[in-house]
Amino acid sequence: MRRARREAEVAEVIVDRVACTAHGVCAVMSDGAVELDEFGYPIQSRLTLPPEEARVLVEACPARALLFRRPT
Amino acid sequence: MTFLWYVSRATGVISIVLMTTVMVLGMFLSGARRSVGSRTTIVQSVHRSLALGMLVFLVLHIATAIIDTYVHINVVAAVLPFASSYRRFAVGLGALGADIVAAVVVTSLLRRRISERVWRLVHRSSFVMWPLTLWHGISMSTGNEPLLRFTTIGCGVIGTAAVLWRLAGTHHDSARRREVLRQEWT
Amino acid sequence: MSLTDLLDEAGLTGRGGAMFPTSVKLRAAFDNRAELIVNACDGEVGTHKDALVVAEHLRELEHGAGLVARKVHWAAHRGSDTEDRLLEAGLRVLSVPARYVASEESALVSLLHGGLARPVMRHEPIARGGRDSQGHRLRPTLVLNAETVWRISQIAQYGPGRFRGFGTPDEPGPRLVTIGGSVERPGVYDTAAGVPMRELLTAAGAFEVGAVGIGGLSGGWLSAGDAWSVAWSNAALAPHGLRTGTGAIHVLERSACPLQYVTRLARFAAGESAGQCGPCMFGVPAVATQVAQLADGALAYDEFALLQQRLRLLPGRGACRYPDGIAGFISSALRTFRADVEAHLAGACVAMKERAGAAR
Ligand code: SF4
Ligand code: SF4
Repeated sequence: MRRARREAEVAEVIVDRVACTAHGVCAVMSDGAVELDEFGYPIQSRLTLPPEEARVLVEACPARALLFRRPT
Repeated sequence: MTFLWYVSRATGVISIVLMTTVMVLGMFLSGARRSVGSRTTIVQSVHRSLALGMLVFLVLHIATAIIDTYVHINVVAAVLPFASSYRRFAVGLGALGADIVAAVVVTSLLRRRISERVWRLVHRSSFVMWPLTLWHGISMSTGNEPLLRFTTIGCGVIGTAAVLWRLAGTHHDSARRREVLRQEWT
Repeated sequence: MSLTDLLDEAGLTGRGGAMFPTSVKLRAAFDNRAELIVNACDGEVGTHKDALVVAEHLRELEHGAGLVARKVHWAAHRGSDTEDRLLEAGLRVLSVPARYVASEESALVSLLHGGLARPVMRHEPIARGGRDSQGHRLRPTLVLNAETVWRISQIAQYGPGRFRGFGTPDEPGPRLVTIGGSVERPGVYDTAAGVPMRELLTAAGAFEVGAVGIGGLSGGWLSAGDAWSVAWSNAALAPHGLRTGTGAIHVLERSACPLQYVTRLARFAAGESAGQCGPCMFGVPAVATQVAQLADGALAYDEFALLQQRLRLLPGRGACRYPDGIAGFISSALRTFRADVEAHLAGACVAMKERAGAAR
């Protein structure tokens, strides 16, 4: 019960730094919540989002560098 | 000549056009010289949805080819490469191509559950899938139908250009990774 | 009492720089039946204590390692005397390429599993196992610094009470430091937290102290004045943004231009990024280039702002803490050597002028 409720609230998106190859899709898909540095890599290392948005973002990364996490 | 046979040939050539488009977009994605997030986002979503769209035509193409009675291609021959009694080699190329398409699509849908290495390896087999399918298209389209043949050849020219463009280019991220990897790390 | 309880009571923290409670790491390792890597690489710039522990206390080291795991690997830099000693002793040696990040915890684990000696992106402690970026499985592995293992053996033999007889209540136990640079007697010294830096500097015969580097490339700087007055402990170093870390102490002589020295290390750092994480593989070289320009008196004021922004963007954005360390090291230098920075931005090097003056 508790778990189901928590799931409905927020999820976390974590950047896998080794996998990220600077495609910059996350910046576009997150409506600016992710910003890119001068070399094209996301500045933020983790984002807290509603789970549906988090899933869309995670699916959008071409390099599979975004991981879906429930906050611990 | 039956109606189904025409449907099969039409969906076949549409599949080739779509496959080539998907492949060209893929080359654009993996071969981009610079990162432009907005462009990548659009190209990637078209790449993904067109690939699924192509699947519809491909399934139609194979199904009609089996159901149609003008020539004999059974289910086994459509799946198992080079098992057809009718034009064993040409049909076999198509079957092989379709199998690889299936593998690429399935691994992509399961991408989050499988290792990135496997996904990449299977995705790279598209480099084989595409020429096989073209070959299949060219050898199946009989000489009296120049439209089909020219479409296929046109796809070949455009696709080859895209592959060459992809192989020639490099991106600052992959270039640096390669450079560091050449150092002593073991 | 179990070993982990003993270590808890002793308050032992890792001597490899991270200073994490060893008992916590050990519990996770026991739960997962982890293998042990004893890290004797002395990977931090200016650190030679692991070499000394292996050279003089190998028997105790083996004892300590035996308490921790059944299967033990001994990591040392390829071609080092330490590697030769370990091989002579007939131990299972993990030969590590002699470069900075190769001796990072997860890099050693990756190397042990047949991969490259490059850090692995972790979302859980490596003692529980994991996967590298290629998807290869990594068995649960515990990595402990050689000095840490030696301390474990001592605590098991003589008890936590004796261990706590050294240091401060918050930072108990004896510690090794490596002192180098502008000193008459460079080498490894036995000390403990709370000892005045003055004593350490005097023991090593420091002369012409211009500034003191603490903790190598992942540490930072103390001005000469602070170095003579501060105590050597995390509590006393914290206000300066420093930690005791791996115990490296480098005395920079007064006549040297500190920015030249920092440039040398920054250039080295640029070549040591493992080239896996974008912010590190581009950020560190970009920063190093700007530091070099600064030292040459060729950095404009507005470019200095960019340098500081780049430094702010380095921490927390790599699979390992390498970029964090480099950013801390250079930022600390820019703070400590503010006068030199100002002079260089104006196009002149204070140290060079002084030297030119002295020569006349
Ligand atoms: S979309 Fe993925 S690969 Fe591209 S910048 Fe974002 S995290 Fe990195
Ligand atoms: S942060 Fe730098 S050194 Fe660490 S793994 Fe990434 S690229 Fe390598």
